[in-house]
Amino acid sequence: MMFKGSRRFGKGEVDRITTQLGGMNNAFTAYDHTGYWFELASDRWERALEIEADRMRHLSLDQTEFEAEREVVLEELAMGLDDPWRRLTERVQAALFERHPYRRPIIGHPDALKALAVGDMRDYYRRFYHPGNAVLVISGDVTRAAAMRAVRRHFAALPPGPPPPANGAAGFRPAPDPQPGEQRLEMRWDDPGRRLCMAWPAAAVGSDDDWALDVVSTLLAGGRSSRLTRRLVLKRGLATSISTHNDSRVESGVFWLLAECAQGIGPEVLERAVDLELERLAREPVSAVELARAHSILISTEAYENETVTDLAEALGEWAADGDWRLALSFNEKIRAVDARRVREIVQRLLVRERRVVGWCHPAAPARRRASRRPAPRARPGKKRARPA
Amino acid sequence: MRSRATSTSRARPPAAHFEIERFELSSGARLLVSRRPGASVTALQVHVRGGHSLDPSGRAGTAFLTGSLLDQGTRSHTEEELAIELETAGGSLSGDASGLSGTIAAAEWKMLVELACELLTEPTFPADRVRLQKKRLLDRLLVEDADPRAQAERRFQRLVYGEHFLGRPVQGTAASVARLERRDLVAFHRANWVARRALVAVCGDVDPRAVARLMERRLARWQPGELLAPREHHFPPRAVRVDAFEKQREQVHLYLGHLGVQRRHPDYPALVVMDHVLGTGPGFTNRISQKLRDELGLAYSVHAAIHSSAGIHPGTFLAYIGTSPEHVATALAGFRSEIERIQREPVEQGELRTAIDYVVGSYALSFQRAARRAGYMISVERHALPDDNLERLPRQIAAVTAADVQRAARAHLFPERSVVAAGGPLSPRALKRIVGSLSV
Repeated sequence: MMFKGSRRFGKGEVDRITTQLGGMNNAFTAYDHTGYWFELASDRWERALEIEADRMRHLSLDQTEFEAEREVVLEELAMGLDDPWRRLTERVQAALFERHPYRRPIIGHPDALKALAVGDMRDYYRRFYHPGNAVLVISGDVTRAAAMRAVRRHFAALPPGPPPPANGAAGFRPAPDPQPGEQRLEMRWDDPGRRLCMAWPAAAVGSDDDWALDVVSTLLAGGRSSRLTRRLVLKRGLATSISTHNDSRVESGVFWLLAECAQGIGPEVLERAVDLELERLAREPVSAVELARAHSILISTEAYENETVTDLAEALGEWAADGDWRLALSFNEKIRAVDARRVREIVQRLLVRERRVVGWCHPAAPARRRASRRPAPRARPGKKRARPA
Repeated sequence: MRSRATSTSRARPPAAHFEIERFELSSGARLLVSRRPGASVTALQVHVRGGHSLDPSGRAGTAFLTGSLLDQGTRSHTEEELAIELETAGGSLSGDASGLSGTIAAAEWKMLVELACELLTEPTFPADRVRLQKKRLLDRLLVEDADPRAQAERRFQRLVYGEHFLGRPVQGTAASVARLERRDLVAFHRANWVARRALVAVCGDVDPRAVARLMERRLARWQPGELLAPREHHFPPRAVRVDAFEKQREQVHLYLGHLGVQRRHPDYPALVVMDHVLGTGPGFTNRISQKLRDELGLAYSVHAAIHSSAGIHPGTFLAYIGTSPEHVATALAGFRSEIERIQREPVEQGELRTAIDYVVGSYALSFQRAARRAGYMISVERHALPDDNLERLPRQIAAVTAADVQRAARAHLFPERSVVAAGGPLSPRALKRIVGSLSV
């Protein structure tokens, strides 16, 4: 709806202006923040500030436009429902967070979406969209003084609104529940793939555990020399692919492990092999050489991911919204500080069987599924984008 | 607001410019290097002409499997040693049907170049690695065989290109890959991964002469091989042809289109502008997104383009939408009416200017990544683009008129002779019925 009209910029104007300036824009929603970005040449970037300042307090939120956009989001939801990985990870996440809102997919559920009224949107907008609850990042060929002058020019007149509460949204919702022991679930999908998803409640953004789990994730599945990829995929051929992801969030993140079982391999064989690797990481200290390689992979990946000015702005903005932007600057140092003792300690404490949810998606006979609109939960590590990237 | 936006953008679009130094190596390979002082990343790409067009009959997937096995062992390193050496330096390097690509932290560029040369000239295709990678590919293809989107896309390519190699999947099919043996890959590599067909591009904070000296040494013994002989290409005539892969899902993936143009076609700049007006302009600035997504709410993902697939061979005009089965007829009618409109009516000036301002203004922004620059150098060489293409193309695009767009749309779009492929909860018969009803 932020692209569908505000006081000074009518419907479609934001895109038209951006396009005329030879720039790009988009938006995304993660679990703890929503981000809007523009990428413009350095002689015309200030136009983005005019737009953001106007739509931060004066969004139209027109009823007809809202209803049309809801249809689009329902189609986006339908797209996600056709993705077996998305369905599986949603179910696992719903089991992982029993009452906390992290259990819900970012895009929502069809029934909840259909029940939304434009008034709900206006309430939400009034509550969260004001400068006091926002972070602005400018990155590129501009001086600090010029940037600050421009920001004051466009934002100084806006009422700041209340600052965000000191403990974020945590004060409004239940703490993530402790796991009641290992939970297991299964689903069926009519293709020959066998998919495994394991998830553990994990680290808060920027916490010491967050950095340590980045290293653990890289040791397990970062690159071809990582343990799971090397042993289970490239040596034994038990899986066609394996990935791990440290999905840290403000209140409690998720550590994901996703694997696609090779044809002809029993799911119990793959799961046992994964368990043995996790147990080995908990038991034996990782060698200095292997640890140095994991550090190097993480640090170079971070450099590639920050190759453009937009990458940099996004990284700083996300750190700032969820924690502290200074953390972006200490990434290399924090990663290098994760030693073998720390790796073993965190695997023993967090990545244990009794804290996890294990989900399997098995092949089903094609005739068994029907194409009904089932309100299945949806959750995938990552963000929901306003428009396709 | 409007006048200011326009006047700012007119002032001067940001320039995209970088120097390319070219070297002919004694092996016959051609090297292109672009120095980028201060870059944190060095990118390398190798393109070997031929790719999957050279797959032997009945053995689709040979070129792909050959390329993807280059990093699985060489005379000097095992697969594991290669992975460890590269990853310790923060690098990556992998192959596919038509070449290699990799990146590494700037200071380590020599390692990336040396290992790329090793992969090109001395891969050993160890039997156990061939077996494992072939099995992984077969497993993936088996799952893809049940995926409506992948199947609709395959059917679209087949309907457009017929028996031409572009109608065959690069990765092959489960049946064709099952036939492949180690000796097929070794023979393919020996015959086709040869120096005279190779283009190598490197972009980073590097001294071009130092890159050339190193490559010259490392590739000195690379077999020059033969240049590709020119071949005749035959494509099926443009006509209505329909196919569907039926599977119970929430959405139908629809592909509508036909044979497109070659990159060297003089209408290319006009088609770039036409695409932005019709189906690729960002956000809601293109007509197909405005109508099918924004007005009708039919889809989250919808687009149409002809210029982006234009290559050595004709690409495709392709309009795509993922939508609910009850919306298929409306979506196809929407595509058709927008295609016909851009042929019938000249684009209005404001819309034309918006598209041109975007393409010209954003051109420089798209060259921020080293890997993109390396890819661009390869395409300059492959399509024999002029040296000043980076300056010339934006100028040509800026000069496109409404009449040019209309003429290009009439010359290159054929809504009444389009193929339609679908994947999802829709039978081939039902799709035929819908397409038939729209053609009346």
